[in-house]
Amino acid sequence: MTDPDIGSMETEMNRGFLQILVLALLEKDMYGYSMVKHIEGLGYKVEENTLYPLLRRLEKNGWITSKWDLGEDRPRKFYAITADGRAMKAGLLEVWHNQNRILTEITKENLHVQ
Amino acid sequence: MSNKLEIYLEEISHFLSGRVEREEILSEIRSHVLEKAAAEHGETGDAALDKVIAAYGQPRQVAEKYLDGRPIIAPAYRRYLFRYTTLLFAFHGLLTVFAVVFKKDFIFFPFLFMPRLGVIEALMYLPTAFLADLGVVTLVLYFITQSGKEVRLPWPKLAVDLDEVKPPKKGFFVSRIGTAVGAVVMLAITDFALYLFSRYHTIFFVNLDFANPRPLFTAAAGRRLSMIVIAMFAASTMTLLVKLFTRSRWVDTISNVVSLALIGLLLRQPFDNLFAVDISERLLPKIKFGLRFMLLFIAVIVTVDLIQNLVSIGRKKLAKSV
Repeated sequence: MTDPDIGSMETEMNRGFLQILVLALLEKDMYGYSMVKHIEGLGYKVEENTLYPLLRRLEKNGWITSKWDLGEDRPRKFYAITADGRAMKAGLLEVWHNQNRILTEITKENLHVQ
Repeated sequence: MSNKLEIYLEEISHFLSGRVEREEILSEIRSHVLEKAAAEHGETGDAALDKVIAAYGQPRQVAEKYLDGRPIIAPAYRRYLFRYTTLLFAFHGLLTVFAVVFKKDFIFFPFLFMPRLGVIEALMYLPTAFLADLGVVTLVLYFITQSGKEVRLPWPKLAVDLDEVKPPKKGFFVSRIGTAVGAVVMLAITDFALYLFSRYHTIFFVNLDFANPRPLFTAAAGRRLSMIVIAMFAASTMTLLVKLFTRSRWVDTISNVVSLALIGLLLRQPFDNLFAVDISERLLPKIKFGLRFMLLFIAVIVTVDLIQNLVSIGRKKLAKSV
């Protein structure tokens, strides 16, 4: 059996996951490039050109804030989660845990069937 | 500051035009690219920036990620683009025929002004009218889509969609045999017409006695009309011959355009001193009207076929691009 091409499906799944990931990551102030590297260090890859528009959307919704730091040798834009963002993150994590539980149970049921 | 990075940002900026936060977006990308080049290549020279920029993505692709993704026309309303355009154009086409036949202006203020048209002007006007109708329907569907409201657009259940009209599915050889027979018949008709024309300078007669033929039209009119009709025969023959090798809709489209031009030429011919035989004065205007109406009717049918072909070509191109 050949490996299934999960590319487009993975992209769809990533949309929701990335939002939780970024909200979870921003408990500590970070700038874009540091987020990319941190995520890569965890064994996951986020497209740079996807991350910045996502950050912009999250900021527009009031879930994160941003400010430019001009103190270093080059300007960096730091992002941080807001109180609303934390509430959203908690809600999304609950959804994600529930989805995970359902999938785990179905996988177990399928093992019994086989 | 690197010229390459600024050119890259300028290209992204071009695709972001109209967005108020454009400068902020470009600053974010500039900061990221410089940061990555320094961290991963140890410098921010052109070679390093080239690599980072290539990894970041094509300018249009980057810019599109910032756009909210709302389509110009929502998928649920896309079918209505051709449905409503067909309806509107049918109405438009009918008014055009009225404007030509009854020689009158039509005004439906503020939506439509249809001036009194000559035949050639009418034929030139129809494709323009189709594009205008398409534009109006697109604009309405655009506003409905952008409003974000759930609007139920009316359409009768039994109505046939122009975009659903498909050529009948026949086997390769069956369809080619039909075309080949048609081509042979048309070739024979064209040859016979050419033979008649070379011998008598007309192809229209009131009797079938070729030893002593009586032409229907006067010499000059008969020659002009015969040449146009022979050109129509030749165009049909060519179309059928080409269709033996390709089923491209472009062949039909070109054939439609040539037919419309020739019908236009026919309609432009002066109707005075046309007939070489005696016809009562009372009957003459009715014959003229009948001929004009018949040719216009054929022109409308050809125009509808032309639009079907253009819609089909357009839909195929759209399907390929998705």
